Amino acid sequence: MRQALHIFKKDARHLWIEIAVTLLVVAAFTFTSARRAFWMADPVVNRNVAGMLLTFLLPLAWWILIARLVHAETLPGDRQFWTTRPYAWKSLLAAKALFVAAFVNLPLLAAHIAILLAYGFNPLAEIPGLLWSQVLITAVLVLPIAALSALTTGFVQLLITGSVLCLALVAWNIGMPSAGLDAGWRALEWIRSYYEIAVLALAALAILVWQYARRRTAAARWLAVAAVVLMALDVLIPWTAAFALQSRLSKQPIDPASLRIDFDSAKQWAARALIEKGDRVWIEIPITIAGIPAGMSPRYDGAIMAIEASDGSTWPADQQPWSHVTTRDQVLWLQATVDGGFYRKVKDQPVKLRGAMYLTLYGNLRVTEVPFSAPPMAVPGRGLCTATPGAGRKSYYLICSSVFLDPEGPATYSPFPADLALDPVNSHRTYIAAFYYPFAAFTAATVGTTEPLAHLRRDFEIGGLRLGDFEVRQRVP
Amino acid sequence: MSDILRTVDLSKRFRQNVALDRMNMDVPEGSIYGLVGPNGAGKTTTIKLLMNLYEPTAGRAEVFGHDSRRLSPRDFAQIGYVSENQEMPEWMTVEYFMTYLKPFYPSWDDARAAELLRQFDLPPGRKLRHLSHGMRRKAALASSLAYRPRLIVLDEPFTGLDALVRDELIEGVLGNAEGATILISSHDLAEIESFASHIGYLDRGRLQFSEEMASLTERFREIELTIAAPSPLPAPWPAAWVNAEQSAAVVRFVDTQFQQDRTMAEIRRLFGEVREIAVNPMPLRAIFVTLAKAGRKAA
Repeated sequence: MRQALHIFKKDARHLWIEIAVTLLVVAAFTFTSARRAFWMADPVVNRNVAGMLLTFLLPLAWWILIARLVHAETLPGDRQFWTTRPYAWKSLLAAKALFVAAFVNLPLLAAHIAILLAYGFNPLAEIPGLLWSQVLITAVLVLPIAALSALTTGFVQLLITGSVLCLALVAWNIGMPSAGLDAGWRALEWIRSYYEIAVLALAALAILVWQYARRRTAAARWLAVAAVVLMALDVLIPWTAAFALQSRLSKQPIDPASLRIDFDSAKQWAARALIEKGDRVWIEIPITIAGIPAGMSPRYDGAIMAIEASDGSTWPADQQPWSHVTTRDQVLWLQATVDGGFYRKVKDQPVKLRGAMYLTLYGNLRVTEVPFSAPPMAVPGRGLCTATPGAGRKSYYLICSSVFLDPEGPATYSPFPADLALDPVNSHRTYIAAFYYPFAAFTAATVGTTEPLAHLRRDFEIGGLRLGDFEVRQRVP
Repeated sequence: MSDILRTVDLSKRFRQNVALDRMNMDVPEGSIYGLVGPNGAGKTTTIKLLMNLYEPTAGRAEVFGHDSRRLSPRDFAQIGYVSENQEMPEWMTVEYFMTYLKPFYPSWDDARAAELLRQFDLPPGRKLRHLSHGMRRKAALASSLAYRPRLIVLDEPFTGLDALVRDELIEGVLGNAEGATILISSHDLAEIESFASHIGYLDRGRLQFSEEMASLTERFREIELTIAAPSPLPAPWPAAWVNAEQSAAVVRFVDTQFQQDRTMAEIRRLFGEVREIAVNPMPLRAIFVTLAKAGRKAA
């Protein structure tokens, strides 16, 4: 530990300019973020340009600091003075970790606490989020750049490597949507994100430990390449497997067998088999789900389904469950596009829809009244909210700020207490037009919040349908 | 004397290039071992393998009896290593450089450190980046001698230095290395010759010989014969006689296994009547050049 402290002091002395710049950027970031707290009652003006700029500058300052720190004892190569000195690799690594903790993590933690205080949050109540945010920022913004620096001999090489990786990332992101593999995960997206973060962080950690312990750069570089490939393979994670994992994280156990899925005969008029161009047929079947526990409301995440005819012909739906279920005009539909040939073959015989519905049940409704023009008040699941009348009381605003999570409600099913973000507070503004109620005198906004309690897969089988009965020639807009 | 450095069939290949081929070398404790050879012979590779800067392709290297791949900070605390192209923490001043290194070495001697700075005329407050090439080398050496290392490894330490600085460095090393083992690599033999106790000669990755300096200079002789009448060189020509040249009745060669009686008898057997025989001892540089030439011819 003494050697680690000794090296730490040397680095702090060497990199004092970089440290000063980083702390300055953190201070500016804290100031701009905290200042936004005082604009909660002023929803019109957007004065966040500096804040946006600083969210770029802050990681940049960290990356330069970390790269300079690691390159102070360059790991690849055979000419560095320190490699033949009595450095203990664990002390050297500990010194670098201590430095990052002291000049990256600790200032950011202080900044987060200051911002929370400015908004009126109690930091002690937010400790899990504060700590998890540090873990995510370390995993995504600190470890990878440290690992890259450990694989490069200097700043120029690092810059070139970083640029190549960024270009590859951009190319991958441009290419992937066309493959259609990464769309539609929505609230489950956190599983893929955490897979990537885990691969990134573990590979970076392994590279760092390997490099500091052995300094065998060629092998470590191969490990980096393997990690990039492994990260890219996230597109191969099956959505259904992700949902199965999500189900295990349900807060409330609910037996899927209590749900019943049937053809919605009351809305039979809404069923359609639409002949489309290119010899394709768009099938939409209205369904109902019964047995949802009282006080809960469903959100349909996806469905898998096959259309089976009595002659044994089958049309399997493709591997994008999120595209086979939708709600529109208060109707729940199963939908699929089938080949024209298959349709013509089965349209006049009874078919069966066999598959599984993936849904999330929301519950635990909590209702809070937020009086207009009152100080911010706590709204469960939303953070601190204020309600403000606009000019002439023709409009009203509800502004909510929550710590580390999206105040609009759980856009993600992530069980973790923080998302990856530099700013600990997310604000969201809801506009309420009073135009239609010119004589109403609103005194408070009523906010109802629910939370996802259970994630269920319910198998279904709907028989006795004749697709030909639903045939239409023109698509209904 | 036990061996402080030892290599056993040590080999290093960089892709298809063999930099070192099954090298077996022993450096006895207390010796000053000069590892010589032409550029590209594998001297630096050998040293980098010994210092665990490279990993052997085959064989092994031992330092203080430990596998070089497992050298610990405790081992490095007893090693002073200075290399021709070592990268230094250039932002440090000379004084801070010494102060920074001190806690790494339990045997650090402040008085000796101060004396070394004085001896090498190093300005304490100047940053390493602002020192000349020679001064930087001196700073590296001072920082490697201040803790009385048991082993001093110098890789081409005099390359690119003027004669004055070179002498200062040699003086500094020899004056502060009491009892230490020194391994020094160089292709400039003049300074090695003056103080090396052992010599290893590397050529194209192979250790051609490794022996005590005294026995080496004893067995190399330049021989010039004036024979009675010009005639072609006799065959078979002894393998130990290299770089043979003939000019009319004068034959010159280098005997690499010189022994007075045996060499004279062999000359008489091959040439018969010889009018004059001149036997000249050879400086290390001449031995080195002879071996290099002979090696190239053989190749």
